[in-house]
Amino acid sequence: MDDDDYWNTSETKAKAFSFDDDVLSPQEILAIGQKPYSGSGEEGILNSSISNIKPALVPISSLVSSKVLDLLVLAQSGKDLKETKSEPEETVAITLKRLVLGRSCSLHVHRSLKSKTELLDGAVAIGDGNAILTVVLFLIQTLNKKLVYELLSSWPLALSHYIGNLQSEGKISELTDLLTMLGRSPDSAIYQFQHSIKNQGDNVDGLLRKTNNLLANHFNQPGVDAHQAKMIADYVKLLEWQSFAKKNELNNKSALECLAYCCKLHWSEGAGNMMSPLTVCQRQQISPLQYEWVVLNVQANLNKWDIVESLFTKKDWLGRTTLSSHIPVESLLARLSELRAGARLLATAVNTVTNTEERLRLAHKYKIHSVVIETLAKQKDRAALTNYKMTLNPQSEEYIYAENTLREPRTCIASQMLNL
Amino acid sequence: MDQPLQCKLSSLCLISQHKLEKILSLCGDKADLIIDSSLIKPLERICGVTWLRQHGIEKIYKMDPQLGQTANTNKIYFISACKHKYKCVLDQISSQLSQNPSLADSKCFNIIIVPKVLHTYDSILESKGLYGVVKLHSFSWELMSLDDRLLSLELPFLFKQLYVEQNHSLLSSVSMSLWSLFQVTGQPKCIISLGKLSSSVLNVLEIYNETYTRDYVSKHTDEIDTLLLIDRNQDYASCLLIPATYSGLLNEIFNITCGHLDLNVKETKYKKGRINFTTVSEENNKKVTMTLDSSIDNLYGEIKHRHFSEVLSVLSSKAKLLKNEDIKALGIQEIKHFVSTKLQQVALFKQNLVNHVLASETIISEMNNKFENVTYTESEMLNNRNKKSNFNFVDENFGTDIQIYNSLRLMCLLSLTQGLTYDEYNNLINKYLLAFGYKFLYVFQNLINAGLLFQPVSLKLTLNISNLSGLSDRLPKWQNSFQNQAAKLKQLPSQVDKSKTSPSYVFNGSYVPLIASISNILLTSESLTEALTKLSNSLELKLSGSLLENMKLGIETLNEKLSNLKLNSELDYRCLDVKSLLKKFKTDSKLSSEFNFKTKSVLVYVIGGVTYPEIAACDVVQNATGSKIYVASDCVASGSDYISACF
Repeated sequence: MDDDDYWNTSETKAKAFSFDDDVLSPQEILAIGQKPYSGSGEEGILNSSISNIKPALVPISSLVSSKVLDLLVLAQSGKDLKETKSEPEETVAITLKRLVLGRSCSLHVHRSLKSKTELLDGAVAIGDGNAILTVVLFLIQTLNKKLVYELLSSWPLALSHYIGNLQSEGKISELTDLLTMLGRSPDSAIYQFQHSIKNQGDNVDGLLRKTNNLLANHFNQPGVDAHQAKMIADYVKLLEWQSFAKKNELNNKSALECLAYCCKLHWSEGAGNMMSPLTVCQRQQISPLQYEWVVLNVQANLNKWDIVESLFTKKDWLGRTTLSSHIPVESLLARLSELRAGARLLATAVNTVTNTEERLRLAHKYKIHSVVIETLAKQKDRAALTNYKMTLNPQSEEYIYAENTLREPRTCIASQMLNL
Repeated sequence: MDQPLQCKLSSLCLISQHKLEKILSLCGDKADLIIDSSLIKPLERICGVTWLRQHGIEKIYKMDPQLGQTANTNKIYFISACKHKYKCVLDQISSQLSQNPSLADSKCFNIIIVPKVLHTYDSILESKGLYGVVKLHSFSWELMSLDDRLLSLELPFLFKQLYVEQNHSLLSSVSMSLWSLFQVTGQPKCIISLGKLSSSVLNVLEIYNETYTRDYVSKHTDEIDTLLLIDRNQDYASCLLIPATYSGLLNEIFNITCGHLDLNVKETKYKKGRINFTTVSEENNKKVTMTLDSSIDNLYGEIKHRHFSEVLSVLSSKAKLLKNEDIKALGIQEIKHFVSTKLQQVALFKQNLVNHVLASETIISEMNNKFENVTYTESEMLNNRNKKSNFNFVDENFGTDIQIYNSLRLMCLLSLTQGLTYDEYNNLINKYLLAFGYKFLYVFQNLINAGLLFQPVSLKLTLNISNLSGLSDRLPKWQNSFQNQAAKLKQLPSQVDKSKTSPSYVFNGSYVPLIASISNILLTSESLTEALTKLSNSLELKLSGSLLENMKLGIETLNEKLSNLKLNSELDYRCLDVKSLLKKFKTDSKLSSEFNFKTKSVLVYVIGGVTYPEIAACDVVQNATGSKIYVASDCVASGSDYISACF
């Protein structure tokens, strides 16, 4: 039996190392006998059995100084001087405090899973993100991923710091792995989307490739919100259209901005044409309300009021002009007046309001004089009409109209009948 | 040391200056300062160019990724703690080193980071091979006194980090700002915190106290007896509502940084947020800046908190006064006297008057058609009335005059107060993405993360078990929860009250900001105990401060605290939750007698930005109670700033 085998035999091992054994070894018995002369049992064991037999030794102090002795111990331990001093003090609390205070500190003294877990618990409990992230990154370095992910899943705050860090470092594949492992693939889809948006700039072909890829591989996963997936699909459609249009100013612009572009430059093109406003509308399913708003703004800014009028008004079978629009009349009036539309169009718009009081209020607000005068005349409110006349600029068209209306109540009624 | 508090607060910049001086002394002489442009305005509050020259700065450049060679070898970069900017600086340094490798040994690169260097920055430095070549310095400037009783840390990116990205790395800077403030003002008797971030800030504050001030006898103060520390997400309504006050509306229309307003009447925030249908670009007009500080501009002090409907009449009465003064017949001696003493003042006053009139006109022309309808709808939402027509209003806004930030504000407010169905929610998203681009799909996720928007669940959605845990946080807890909570603290006046006696006038009489409501309870209660009892009915408060130290309550070392920590429980380091404190009062009369004092002055510190209407509302409470309310935050923000943080 060689030495190694001797130490590894469980029988001998148990005897050699167990101090609680009921059966006393010869040395122990002897030690008990000498107890009155020695301070502690353990020292006694060694003194008793050996010193009597072996020749006397010189004191260790005559061999080496105590300093050198310490050095010998230190050398065998492989530690440096400072470390041995500070190590016992380096508790979790002290490390955390140093982290929070922004002092330099090495986390590597915390090697057991227990103290690593305590570090994370403590950092999260204090709530200082700087400390939390430092601890998480330390765990990532020193523990296997599965263990770290398990820890992170019970600490949402630590997880969000780690996610944020992966995002800002652009480590998107690692982020995807993490979220997939945690069963959060829908979140990972949107993170990836955000990342590709922020990195591709306005490069339509790059975006198209990336987004198509995301749509096929991530937004079709179970758990992904159906509407979100539809929005991504619509995005792909728009990018395809932009890729076809090949206009730099349209790159990665919104659907309405593309529509505005087409309204400006391709207004008369028919539904079959790719650049026709109608094509953009159908592809991106733009609602009539948004369509009308864009056309109104684009054409009015180009001073093409005939197009605006033909969009909103039509003649009925009596030859009267009526207005129909998806834009609620008050918003329409506000915008028309901002765009400096003509008085006739404003009057047509406000006349669609059937409630007299409301019509009067709006006509007042947007200074549509003809409608105010007509409505007051219809109400036979002479006093109000006279007052209103006073607010108008004398010699202006509307002033004369008001005066005429006041002078000839009958014609006023007649003109109303004509308007009916 | 017995200066009035406001004087001390205005002088905090001297401490910042001293801190900067110490950093510059480590960076060597004859250096170039390369500064991130967003930091110029705040730096101007700390020191001037002459001061910088005296402290070794030769040339100043704006930070730009394309920045070429600068004059001196010694370079000091000055940036905020933003990883992207930091890496940009490191890249620039690397490229200089590749051209001239000998620079590596000359220790000529310094980066000053506001408010602090994060631990990860060291590892980034190491990984780029620049450790030992570049030196990093933390510069934690003090709170800046922007106006009377208004303090700001001027870190406008903090809301995005803390609430949208849930990155709390810079939270300790809030603690540090409080800790150093208390070195000047003394410790408040009582610190009340509301919200998770606030309670973390208190934990770190205690660590600072324990580390640095343990041996000092902490001074007490009567000037600020109570600190109310509150998380921004405790009252998002105050961020989303359109303000009715002058200062609030200024911040809606114009860019305000560090108390300076950029009076750009052509390109207002409103105009920039719209889809541009015209291709005509406005030429750059002359830059006019207004300083929003009542100690410099008395006129601003007089009108800043007024309901906007009163502002023009105040301005016109001032103009009339000025006119009368001009007409007054003056003798030669009087003219001499006038020219030498008053002329400059009058000229300045005139200039301010002109600027305020110009600003007011712009507000009117931008808000004119919408203000009434929007505020009416907001009030209906707050009171949970007519949900259908409120939705139609928002829907119409999304379909027509949609704005990149303000339209989302309306959507968030509706979602917060009355909720949105799955179809309504997606309908709005669809319109929004058509208008501004599908690329902004991620913005909605960010709004949800920040707690500004609540995502309704589709009935069709196949429930994923692992998703359930996250789901419960995202749903409003129960129907009307917003109204129930607001009613408990009397934040919803029963009738619309526009008089200036109710703080609700700041939102046209329909809502009292939470901080004003809490301050009011603190300042009108007979004792702190009474106030705490009232508040703890509806709020989860925590309490700390010198009162607890006296009582030897909750005093455990961090070590003991951590070792007793249970999973997912909160640390509550040297603070107590108010409910259990109140329970202790019943058995301990000596303890409860300590809390028998009446609060006379409050410092409100909002983590994540404060808005002008909130400040105005606190002013009303202050005047009604004859007390002092100081407001502090990391920045003064407007509603659209909160939304833009999600982009």
